[in-house]
Amino acid sequence: MNDADWLAALDHELALRGMTGSDRAEAVLEAEAHLADSEPGAVARELFGPPDRYADDLAQASGAPGRRRPPDGTTGAWLLQADRVTRSYRGRPALSPTSLTVAPGQVVALVGPNGAGKSTLLRLLAGLEPPDGGTVSRRAATGWVPQSGGLDPFLRPVEHVELFGVARGLSRADARRQGERLARHLGWELTGAPVVGRLSGGTAQKLRMVLALVGTPRLILADEPYQGLDTDSTRRFWELLWSVCEDGAGAVVSSHDPEVLRRADTVLELQPAVEPAGAQGVGR
Amino acid sequence: MNADAGRPTPPAPPADLSREWIRGVLEPCLLALVATGDSYGYELASRLAAAGLGPVPGGSLYPALTRLEKQGLVSSRWRAGDGGPGRRYYRLTAAGQRQLATDIERWDSFAATVAGLLRQGATA
Repeated sequence: MNDADWLAALDHELALRGMTGSDRAEAVLEAEAHLADSEPGAVARELFGPPDRYADDLAQASGAPGRRRPPDGTTGAWLLQADRVTRSYRGRPALSPTSLTVAPGQVVALVGPNGAGKSTLLRLLAGLEPPDGGTVSRRAATGWVPQSGGLDPFLRPVEHVELFGVARGLSRADARRQGERLARHLGWELTGAPVVGRLSGGTAQKLRMVLALVGTPRLILADEPYQGLDTDSTRRFWELLWSVCEDGAGAVVSSHDPEVLRRADTVLELQPAVEPAGAQGVGR
Repeated sequence: MNADAGRPTPPAPPADLSREWIRGVLEPCLLALVATGDSYGYELASRLAAAGLGPVPGGSLYPALTRLEKQGLVSSRWRAGDGGPGRRYYRLTAAGQRQLATDIERWDSFAATVAGLLRQGATA
């Protein structure tokens, strides 16, 4: 990341933390002035650290609203509850009994090796398929970011946004406005984009993210949502997700990104499901 | 204002000087530096280094200056630079002056307490 990128990232991060107008512009200018004064070869990232952490410190120091509130686990309010859900495919267990609760503002990161059932659990949580055992309860409208699919190749992105937005109670105009704003956060212009069939894989993934967030559902489920995306777009998606969770949404995401794991409130590690001993005839 | 200009080399910071200690004293030190005249971030960092506190990264410096300004202990204004983006100069306020006087007293008493305690351990 060169210094110009670092400064642009700082500006973006400060905006996400509610730092506005001249405060934000001055913070960025001051860092720029410091760099101009520094020895040749000085690098913004070394002098100031990663832009998101520096923005955290500055926003806190200036009394800006800040990004993360601790999730509200005290009131017993929850958005999603799964109780000992299991799933097998063709007799092979795909998910060991798993329970979790998501409170407003809480981000749960799912980790585990391939085959541990991360995608299976997310599909159960999203209600896309029923569990074999256990129960899933949701109290909130749900935004879902799949790894693939979910789009109509013959519709334009803006039409997708209208469909999803209207389904979540927005007017078409509001849906379009929100979609444009979300897309811009991801570094993409929604208006004028061609039908989905002609989008690149990365752009289609940005559309899935926009669709998950339009209409501000209170629960976001995302299955390794960064597939096919460049690192900058991935970072922008996470910033959007953190900011909606700051506003009280809850989220369950599968990810191995260390930064995501560091910032998640809860990390849930799934182990590959094992067949019951009796199934293989080796039980006592 | 720049009393360090003629000095040959700044004293090296003690190798084991804890970053936590520096963080704890950074704000009072900044007040003291600004008390000798208006100054901007990069210059303050250079003067801290010259005084022996080692390099203070911008990532610690500017949040500290922002806190001081938020508390009304310093004020700031921009002065145009030659070609560059200009510099933000910090100035001690009357409240800052009172805070500095309090800090000096509190520090002296605190440092004496800690020194006494540490020596007690050494002679035990």
